[in-house]
Amino acid sequence: MLKPLTPILTVAVPPHIHCGRTLRRYVLDTLVALLPAAVMAVIAFGTDALRVMALSCATAVLAEAACNRLMKREQTVDDYSALVTGLLFAFLLPASAPWWLVAIGSAACIGLGKMIFGGLGGNPLSPPLVGWALCRISWPAFMDTNATMLMSDLPPPLQQLKYFGVDAVSSLDPVSLLMGHQLGGLGEIQIIALLAGGAYLLLRRHISWHIPAGFIGGLLATALIYRLLDPAAYAPPLFHLLAGGAIFGAFFLATDESSSPLGSLPALLFGIMAGAMVIVIRVYGIYPDGVPFAILLANLFTPLLDRIRPKPFGGPYSFFDEEDAR
Amino acid sequence: MTRFNFDLQTGETGPLTKAPRPDMVNLPLSGQTPLLGVDDQVLNGTKVSTADNDFDGDMHAPLSGRIREITPHAMRIEVTGDDKAPASAPCTGKGDELRQWLRDRGVNTRNLYPAQTLIINAVPPEPGISIFEPLLRDYRKTLEIGLDLVKRIVEPSKLFQVVAKGNKANAFANCTVTHVTPVYPNGLDPLVIKTVTGREIIPGSRPDDISILSVKDLYLIGRAAETGRPLTETVMTIGDSNQLVVVGTPVGFLTAESGASVQPGDRVVIGGPLRGLAAVNLEQGVDKDASGLHILRRSESAAVTDNPCLGCGQCERHCPARIMPGMISRCAEFKQFRRAEAFHIHSCMECGLCAYWCKAQRPLLQYIRLAKYELALLADADKEPRTETDATDGES
Repeated sequence: MLKPLTPILTVAVPPHIHCGRTLRRYVLDTLVALLPAAVMAVIAFGTDALRVMALSCATAVLAEAACNRLMKREQTVDDYSALVTGLLFAFLLPASAPWWLVAIGSAACIGLGKMIFGGLGGNPLSPPLVGWALCRISWPAFMDTNATMLMSDLPPPLQQLKYFGVDAVSSLDPVSLLMGHQLGGLGEIQIIALLAGGAYLLLRRHISWHIPAGFIGGLLATALIYRLLDPAAYAPPLFHLLAGGAIFGAFFLATDESSSPLGSLPALLFGIMAGAMVIVIRVYGIYPDGVPFAILLANLFTPLLDRIRPKPFGGPYSFFDEEDAR
Repeated sequence: MTRFNFDLQTGETGPLTKAPRPDMVNLPLSGQTPLLGVDDQVLNGTKVSTADNDFDGDMHAPLSGRIREITPHAMRIEVTGDDKAPASAPCTGKGDELRQWLRDRGVNTRNLYPAQTLIINAVPPEPGISIFEPLLRDYRKTLEIGLDLVKRIVEPSKLFQVVAKGNKANAFANCTVTHVTPVYPNGLDPLVIKTVTGREIIPGSRPDDISILSVKDLYLIGRAAETGRPLTETVMTIGDSNQLVVVGTPVGFLTAESGASVQPGDRVVIGGPLRGLAAVNLEQGVDKDASGLHILRRSESAAVTDNPCLGCGQCERHCPARIMPGMISRCAEFKQFRRAEAFHIHSCMECGLCAYWCKAQRPLLQYIRLAKYELALLADADKEPRTETDATDGES
């Protein structure tokens, strides 16, 4: 007779080993990469920044929990992705943002940006940008980093460029911009800290280099073209890179997994497209900073870009007739 | 968990040893029809079942004893000794006659057919499997006998041997040695064929003009010709040693012999950790394709989840077939199997790298296999109504 099945073995399909990375650790890695910028934001803007970040994160997590409850889904807040979305959204806001603006925007990030499409991995647009766009269009006065922060003695580089021309910004030192001495979203302008975070993500192979490189390359190249056309009317490329949220967008917003293309070449093209669009919006658009809208636009091209595929091994093959294969 | 090493270099290996004789064997019977019944006596070499298709080899009792139980999956034989059935005379014929002779002796003849190019795959199939090294080093003569036999069926005009860089080649006569980078999955047949001929063959299909055999295949064919006895053994890497193991030896016997203890929740993997088959229980016997045995502790083996696909593209970046396993898994998840074809599921060679790298820990290879299976069913179902329509057309 059969012996009792002891010990009971695990039976599973291959592969039987795994690289050891988990979703939660992956999201926490992003959080670690954002930490230096968050600390610098608190140093620069004081408790106001802390207030906005804490409120945004808390609202995002609560919104996701509520959405899961409403949709009768398994609770997913424990993967921390809502926390990161909340923090990314807070980084785009001025430190002076009123509490209701933060709460509405953060809830919109989760509700309209992510959960409505089925949660993590389903969003066609970068969730923090959805909330940002909603707030930017609905309450432009409260989202204007310059007008709401009149008490600050920091210069708002992009607004100066927009309203006073290239001469107004020629006095701004790139190094001080790099160190975050400018007005903008509370976290997006902590350039040096964001660069450190981006380098950490790259080193951890958390993001691939294609999107940031394409983004920065596209931005610099487009800015250079304008600069060469008329140096008196257009700002230098380095200014565009260091002012506003370009670095933040390149490393943290454009690299959102689900809304960016998969392949290497599509990802590079996606980055170039977003980077170039930033300059086009900054030059012609009505908004001083073009980064969020540029990335949102590029997100729309993702399904199209993902069609650029190498030939599969052994060529396309189907069990069914040509007309059957969809 | 420490990062897995994908290096295919085998380094120095010890000699091939013979595994101890088990007191019970469980012959795997998948694709076989039993010839004998319970309580029948068998000798070492008695044919116990025939293969259902045209290329699989028949199954023979590896030792003498009595058949105790037959299930659809396995035949249990209580071993009493090693009394051998008389050896048969070597086959002097060639071509199909020789092919049938080998099939009758338990050799899988799927890749034995006339072809211009014969490729000997000497690249380890997976990291941690070093069976080719002692065979190439110590069993030169057997390999050459096997190769001569194979040549009489394949009649190749070109002979290639593919070796991982850094491993010893010990080339055969009149054969071109090609080196590949010693990194998994370069030892898989589709990639080896590509290295030699530059052509990409849909995995699982059979090119007309290329025949590919592993060093182990040659050794076992050579052994069958040398001894005139049917194939009842396989070569496996167990721990650090390479052993000649009787087909049907229970995995529990092998782990016990190697001094390892199996805890509840562990996986006993027949083959390598990336492509191997997890044994159902310790009684399960090894099959003829078994090339290794690994015990994976519960803490170090992959735990799969039903997390959603993030779209991070890690699977796609590591895929040797240049497809998008993540998208295929989404198709399979939502039962859109035909859509999986648009993502080129048939190019998948099932190396398992996608699921290894998936940070959402999705069972990507399982999803791909499910979709392949469902597609095969759909393709069959597609064929039937079409013939019906043809018939009605004919009537009207």
